[in-house]
Amino acid sequence: MRNTIILLGCALLFLTYPTFAIHHFQEGGTNNQPVDTAGTTVPQDSLVNDTTLVKELTISRVDSIFTDVNVRSMSTAPDEIARFPAVSLQQYLKDQAAGLYVQENTGEPGSVQQMYIRGLPMPILSHKEIYQSQPLVVVDGIPLIGEHPFAFDIQQYQFSRIGPATNLLSNIDMNNIASVTVLKDLASIALYGPMGANGVIAITTKQPTTQRKISFNVYAGVAQRPTVTTINGAYENAFRKQFYDRYTATGRYSADDSYPLYLSDSLNTSYYGPSNWTDSYYQTGLLYSANADISGGSDRANFRFAAGHLRNQGVADETGLKRYSALFNINMKPMKWLLFSAMISGNRVQRDRNRSLRDRFATASYIPDPSSPLSPNDEIYRQYLTQFDNSFDNNATNIVEGHAKLVFDFNRVKIASRVAVDYNEGYRDLFYPRTLMEENSFASNYYGYNQRLIFDNHVTYDVNIGGKHTLFVEGGGVLQWDAFKYNYAYAYKGINDFIKINLLESDPNNGNYLNPTAFPRELVFKFLDYTKQNIVSFYGRGSYNFDNRYTVSLLLRSDASSNAQPTSRWLFTPVLSLGWNIRNDLLTESSVFSTFNLRASGGRMGRLNAFDNFSQGPSYSTQVGYTGNLITPGYNGMGVLTRPYDFGWSGYGIPWSYTDQLNIGLDLGLADERVQVNLDWYTKYDRNQLLGIPSYAEFGYRQSYEAGMEVNNTGVEMLVQIEAFRGGAGKFSWTPSLNINYNQNKLTALPGGRNELIIDNRLFRVGERVDRFWLLQNDGIFLSDAEIPTVDGQPLRYNGIPLRAGDPRWVDTNGDNTIDNNDRVLMGSIFPKVSGGFMNQFRYGKWTLDANFYFNLGRNVLNADMANRFDFINREGTVEINSVKEITFWEKHGDYNRYPIYNPWSNVIPYRAEQDLFLENGSFLKLRTLSLGYDLTELLSKRAGTIERFFIYCTGNNLFTLTPYSGRDPELVDFMGRDTGYGLPIPRTYTLGIRMNL
Amino acid sequence: MSKPINNKLLIRRLVPWGIAVVLLALTGSCKKMLDVDSSRVVGEKNMWNSLEDTRAAVMGTYGLVRAALADYNAHWLYGDVRAGEFTSPTRQDLRAIISNDLTASYPSLEALSNWRRWYAVINSANIFLERVHEVHEKDLRYTENNMVVDIAQIRFLRAFAYFYMVRNWGDVPLIVSSHDGNFENKPRENQDRVLAWAEQEMLAAAADLPYRYSAGDEQQQGNYYNETTGRWDGALARKLSAYAVLAHLAAWQGDYPSVANYSKFVIDNYQKATNDYISTDHLTAANGFFFNKNTNQLFGFAFDWGHVDASFTGHIEELTLAEPVVNKRIPDIYLPKDSIINIFNEGGDERFSLDTLGTPVSDRYFSNYNGRYPIFSKIKCIMGGVSDPTFRIFTSAIIFTRLEDVTLLRAEALAVLGERSGAIDNLNAIRTRRGLDAYNEEVNGDLLNAIFLERQRELMGEGHRWYDLVRYNRIRPNHATISQLIARNGIYWPVAQTLLDQNKQLTQNEYWQ
Repeated sequence: MRNTIILLGCALLFLTYPTFAIHHFQEGGTNNQPVDTAGTTVPQDSLVNDTTLVKELTISRVDSIFTDVNVRSMSTAPDEIARFPAVSLQQYLKDQAAGLYVQENTGEPGSVQQMYIRGLPMPILSHKEIYQSQPLVVVDGIPLIGEHPFAFDIQQYQFSRIGPATNLLSNIDMNNIASVTVLKDLASIALYGPMGANGVIAITTKQPTTQRKISFNVYAGVAQRPTVTTINGAYENAFRKQFYDRYTATGRYSADDSYPLYLSDSLNTSYYGPSNWTDSYYQTGLLYSANADISGGSDRANFRFAAGHLRNQGVADETGLKRYSALFNINMKPMKWLLFSAMISGNRVQRDRNRSLRDRFATASYIPDPSSPLSPNDEIYRQYLTQFDNSFDNNATNIVEGHAKLVFDFNRVKIASRVAVDYNEGYRDLFYPRTLMEENSFASNYYGYNQRLIFDNHVTYDVNIGGKHTLFVEGGGVLQWDAFKYNYAYAYKGINDFIKINLLESDPNNGNYLNPTAFPRELVFKFLDYTKQNIVSFYGRGSYNFDNRYTVSLLLRSDASSNAQPTSRWLFTPVLSLGWNIRNDLLTESSVFSTFNLRASGGRMGRLNAFDNFSQGPSYSTQVGYTGNLITPGYNGMGVLTRPYDFGWSGYGIPWSYTDQLNIGLDLGLADERVQVNLDWYTKYDRNQLLGIPSYAEFGYRQSYEAGMEVNNTGVEMLVQIEAFRGGAGKFSWTPSLNINYNQNKLTALPGGRNELIIDNRLFRVGERVDRFWLLQNDGIFLSDAEIPTVDGQPLRYNGIPLRAGDPRWVDTNGDNTIDNNDRVLMGSIFPKVSGGFMNQFRYGKWTLDANFYFNLGRNVLNADMANRFDFINREGTVEINSVKEITFWEKHGDYNRYPIYNPWSNVIPYRAEQDLFLENGSFLKLRTLSLGYDLTELLSKRAGTIERFFIYCTGNNLFTLTPYSGRDPELVDFMGRDTGYGLPIPRTYTLGIRMNL
Repeated sequence: MSKPINNKLLIRRLVPWGIAVVLLALTGSCKKMLDVDSSRVVGEKNMWNSLEDTRAAVMGTYGLVRAALADYNAHWLYGDVRAGEFTSPTRQDLRAIISNDLTASYPSLEALSNWRRWYAVINSANIFLERVHEVHEKDLRYTENNMVVDIAQIRFLRAFAYFYMVRNWGDVPLIVSSHDGNFENKPRENQDRVLAWAEQEMLAAAADLPYRYSAGDEQQQGNYYNETTGRWDGALARKLSAYAVLAHLAAWQGDYPSVANYSKFVIDNYQKATNDYISTDHLTAANGFFFNKNTNQLFGFAFDWGHVDASFTGHIEELTLAEPVVNKRIPDIYLPKDSIINIFNEGGDERFSLDTLGTPVSDRYFSNYNGRYPIFSKIKCIMGGVSDPTFRIFTSAIIFTRLEDVTLLRAEALAVLGERSGAIDNLNAIRTRRGLDAYNEEVNGDLLNAIFLERQRELMGEGHRWYDLVRYNRIRPNHATISQLIARNGIYWPVAQTLLDQNKQLTQNEYWQ
């Protein structure tokens, strides 16, 4: 069977012909280069200036309706997006594309951010699911590789991945980008194969030109220091006193109680003194970016070279990022029928990370005694910060991608062969001196890489019969090798604070060879992990167009992954797309419609499995650790092999999971494209997905991986752009543009026909959203024991514990006189139902004013930070990561008066976060960009004729937020929808910039 | 004129096909590409082939037992904290255990109600027993004797897991095969049946277990897995480990004649196992009895410093130690001063006693006695057995039983069976080693009470007290709460809700319904 498929695939390759499959269309209209069939932007005036070729390209452009320039996915052009002082691709695109949702949970520059296209394909339970739901980012046809989440396996605390944890999409310098396209429907993503199952963001870099051109783009600015309300020990003491006053007679709840020392002594100025730590914590950040490029050459060979540098300082905790980047493109045409093109892009990203106690302790897996939190007094806080002078935390990431492509052009037949590489490596070298951790120094070193190698070959064939019939056939095969690896070691208690690295004995004749010399051997922990995934794909596609009116296109592909089990290694999937150009067909005379296209596509595509653990059925691993000590390397100094009880059971017969999608789209252009509308409706079912079902505990397993989970996402996306006021040259014009999307997700099936499932304190029920909160409903407080309902003499209980005065009045939904999981209700949603951006561009004379708004509607935030503050009894004095008090503990946000005064000592944990008391509406509207620009081209070109464009601008970002949420910025939540208080503020920035082309 | 054109045409025709053929050849190797063995886990085909696999599986099963005992410090929360004598100043979850609110929803209590980690031990053992013969067939180095000893250990560990579970949950599902891939949910089995089965298993295992490994024992010839005694001493289950646990198992069932039998075997044979009674100093030294592994650890699970096994959690020290012994202001649990005085009520006790001025003679068992929180510091294996308070990483072994425990258990059995003199002899074997005078009824009161008090003092912080209290109150229902719990089957832990959710054949313990 397998061989047959291979043969079939190979035969397809042999018989049919594609160009490389970059399915791409032009954005925003700033760059009017023609677009080839299914591929790269063709250099306008150089290598293809052969008229026959250009003509052919124009004809074959209609081979697929979806390369139509009228389908737009982005609100603004890269040239304008580049003005945003962003670091990552996610930040650039956040408000730009309908259907693309970006979760920016901290303002720390260069930190990892998540993207979701068309909703959630699966419930997000951990970083594994995040990784498996990310869209594919493709730069010039190179699908970029992400950071594999396997490293989390050795982490007790999963706040951020070991290593630099730098956003790998910090490698896109928007100044080098000609177009960005967000591909969402199967018609356009199917060519990318299973990697693109979550959607594709296709990026095309600017191409070389034959005339020498130089451009220079620069901005500089500041990120404004935030202002916050600070509190000190006196305030916190007064806050807690109300609980003591109400529930204790003597200021002690029981004889064993201990009131925290730092709040006990009101004469202690380190806690009761001024709370001015913000002077050392918050700062005004410096931002700048400079990018220059040169392009030139001849008809036969040309190139473009760009180099850039960016610096982005955060506004808190001395965070920041530096990037050095270079990009080189070359096109050569040694023969008339041979085109060689290559691109290489290199980036180095260095990151200064936050110094929060939580992240530091999590990295060290050690929690010092938390009974003396950091002092809110700036003088003392500064003394604490000086200890970092003797430490280092170097995070560097090198990201390189490149490809080399040969296109053999034989008129109707084209063959493309290409090798592409994406490689990124991260280093983190860390040292904390003794003073920072109870006289214990800590050193760690990480090195890891992710690499992808692709070899792909395509053949395309093009026929045009009688001017009306166009047939386009393509076929291809792709081989892909992915590899992920890391080495990691950490050590405690070095001999002094001067030797900051984990030195090893280097003399092979020494009996201690390769043992650590500066750190005790017994306190050095070492790890390494390696995994790979190989993918083989074959596909064939045929498109037929009749008279620029009707198009039909069928794509068939067969994919195999080394992570799929041998018995179901290959998956065959079809995608059918139809197009009807109504304007060309029925409305040729219409003066109203300049564009009227109807598109439809449907089909199936595979979803990859990121973990090779499943590829071989039942397996054995080395997990004999336990909570707090996951990393136990063995027993009695020997390696162990047991079934992976903590990871879970995975048996034979795991099939491919896949996505079934249907998309119907409408592209309208009215009044000579003065009004442009792109409207899409979609429904997609991500089927047969693996889910860890808590089961078989009596066989030792934490869970069992079973296939059969199905999640549906249905939604509508719309992009409207209107030239509302269209003045002539120099007159006033206003062009508003709205991108908006509505998405509704639903769990449609669970493995084994289950109806509902509890995983990690979350409930998933078929028919419900997958991102709901599962909470108790809070209805006030029991002021006295008499108020507690009793049935048959039994008072209302919480999990068997009788409720008493001072406990919350939780709603007994099922009326069984017991509050437990059965009374928790699914409510709210972590992800917004509606999100989008509203862009406005005003022009007058040489002035341009942009005002861009970003909004989320229909989403909720669980204020876990507030729950934590009220639950101080469970958060005081215990050596536990949730008890760690950051310096921001001395910051007040939110409204304390919203919450009843419960008895915090009660065993029912009245201030547990899992109740609707802490759930709030997290909708918001932000003014994300306000930018004023002036075009100086005319003025300057009078003096120096070479100037093509000279544009200056000043921009303010994140200027205001409107939200009903009582806490901080409602965007700063983790993937569980919780505001934990840990996200650094997303800064308000002001920049001044110049864009110049010579 | 026409020739070059023809040539050109020919090239035009042939070149594309030529290129396509070359590309096809390059793409042809795709099948081999897809067969990738995981580098993270070992697949079924690469397991059970060699002696290294059985060694890894045996060590893995030990590791799983250790993990079950160490998770959330379960061994001490079950055994010491639940007895209610320790006090917790800061940890609400421990307070809930102390006040027997075992359904309170704290992560630690949920973990302690969940028996999954014990069933991991059992599943690992079941798979081993089903597959070990494959290695014997494939690897000539894996001798019959090696296999017999391995099987005996694995059977013992599996039976031990059942015994430990029955003590905490009562009835539990009895599963004795791996059901690999065909798992089915099983209901709970009557605890007497489970214990009867476990007893038979342990006896069978005991018959095959050696007194020591790699030490010329006739039941274990040569160097076990090619390692010398230093590697194995204290690390593995031995013949006497099995009898000591059997004595506990019988005592839990109230079968005191068997306790007397099993404990006699241990006490008669301990010298064969290079086992002996230990001094008070050795018991309480930072690098003493609890440190790493040694033959005196009759049945225990080591965290060996030299093997980079030291850890922050999974040790009694994490709960009990605080200033001035380690860098932590308030201990998770401590024994209040008046309790200490009540328990250590005899002068001359080397473990803890007060001099005439009311100051402690030594700080072997308690440090900072006069502070707000007396620190229970009997066990304090910090790092490589040092007294450096700065780093809370510990190396003490989890000891399930030791010779002193078995001796006192024997005294208890003999006392119950009415063999007073034998009971007193065994009691005195401990008392005299701790600097106390021989037992005297007029001074020390009732014999059985004296034996249980001695157990409390000697085995404090070793996970015994709760089970001792249950056994004592079964004999003499003196303690109002505990005898009430015994009567209402409340001595068991609730079964975790997650277990009930996934296996509908399970029922919650009556007391917690």
